[in-house]
Amino acid sequence: MGIPNYPIHLDDPQLQGFYDGLAMGELRLTADPDTGEWVWYPPEVVPGKPDTVLEWRPVSAQGTCYTFTTVVRCLLPGDHATEVPFTVVLFESDDAPGCRVPGVLVDDDGVEPACGMRLRFRPVPVGDHVIAGFAPV
Amino acid sequence: MKGGMVAITGVGETPFLRRSEEPLMQMMVRACLAAIADAGLKPSDIDGYIGNRMTPGSDDLGPLIGMTDRAFTAVTDVAGGTAPAGQALILAQLAIEAGLARHVIIPYGIQSTKPGGVYGFHAKEPLKAALEMPVGFFGQPTYFASMANRYAYDHGLSEEELASVPITYRKWAEITPWAQRREPMGIEEYRQSRMISTPLRAVDCCLTTDAACAYIVSAVERAKDLPHPVVQVQGVGVGTNNFPHGVLFTQNPCTYEYPGEASAKKAYTMAGVVPADLDLAQVYDGFSISAIVQTEMLGLCGRGEGAKFYAAGHALPGGRMPVNTSGGHMSGGYVPGINLLIEGVRQLRGGQGERQVPDARLCAVAGLGGNSHSTTILARD
Repeated sequence: MGIPNYPIHLDDPQLQGFYDGLAMGELRLTADPDTGEWVWYPPEVVPGKPDTVLEWRPVSAQGTCYTFTTVVRCLLPGDHATEVPFTVVLFESDDAPGCRVPGVLVDDDGVEPACGMRLRFRPVPVGDHVIAGFAPV
Repeated sequence: MKGGMVAITGVGETPFLRRSEEPLMQMMVRACLAAIADAGLKPSDIDGYIGNRMTPGSDDLGPLIGMTDRAFTAVTDVAGGTAPAGQALILAQLAIEAGLARHVIIPYGIQSTKPGGVYGFHAKEPLKAALEMPVGFFGQPTYFASMANRYAYDHGLSEEELASVPITYRKWAEITPWAQRREPMGIEEYRQSRMISTPLRAVDCCLTTDAACAYIVSAVERAKDLPHPVVQVQGVGVGTNNFPHGVLFTQNPCTYEYPGEASAKKAYTMAGVVPADLDLAQVYDGFSISAIVQTEMLGLCGRGEGAKFYAAGHALPGGRMPVNTSGGHMSGGYVPGINLLIEGVRQLRGGQGERQVPDARLCAVAGLGGNSHSTTILARD
């Protein structure tokens, strides 16, 4: 299995918090500081609360796979022929059910990906950046 | 809004090509003129225009098709197939009933081969660019493949069942003279198709097409004086959810739960019919999985039974509920939603040769576009 190599475009600076977390080995999601509820992905404006600034909070590295797919033909701009196949998962941390983080499946040792499988967060260095990875437990 | 007040009186399209040498505007003019001629009208009879945010507006296209009075113009505000196959009909009926227009033209065109490709707009979404693209979660086939795997987990989905969807539509395309992909396809040919993103192969995805289509909406009373049998808009409904494009494919509690049940309920209620009354259906088949789910949402089978519905052959030529009778978007051609609607009109007019559904009088058309969905019920008077 390969790993996609595509630059991170942070057009919304708010999203820097996610990558700050990855650099420190943490998985972080955004929450409403008033209610404590997760608001994920972080929208440009919190619905009905235009003054609210979301907070980045760490979540458990343990969770489950909501769904997955193994990308054989990569549709990202550019040539990624040497990086396929790779498997993308949508991960739900045990601390934030329903909040899904996309990442690559790593250290799978031939284990077939499956919905509902237990996964553990693992940051993955790729070139000059770090992406979210998840390994079977 | 009542059903049976307006009719689709003219339809037209350009050839469905993998790559056209003609620019989008030229194709759209051809499609509009074909629809106007099909309706037995003159360009100057057209006084209403409903465009789409993805295609040229009436100020540019209107003069090129000979419109002399653009008394009513509007732009649909939803994406993909929902717009031309549903929302545009609501706007057209409102305009005609208000006396703002007599004959409304609704064009739609697509250049899949345009620079940047069909997935270019996803890359402009900041959430996708920041969170999804760096891990390779990008492009409709990948999004919908992840839905298919979740659907399989929830309901079961064998390779043969998944394959039965594009194989069914290909059977219809084989007997449709203008379909883009007509070569026969069985399970072996399906398995030879290139895997894109598991479990979706290239033939599980809609075609890339350069083409344009157009249709004309008129009051039923006026339609009776025009050349074709009257095909009424008996019901139309649009459903929406509150997951914007940036989160739609990941954060929707069930990622394959399109707002299709809501649109179908509105359309059937307006039409005063139930799914069992239908003679055929056209289902927005961007991907095998989305066609399966919408087939369920239209009520052609139970929830979770869509794949088995296709595998049992019910949607094939001669089946009890023909679906996508010109090959759909996966084999016929991909001009989002509108060529499915046009095929529904043609089937209800009759005379479609080998692919004609016998005595077709009631057809449902399902359109999907981002976080919206439309259902339209067409009826022959």
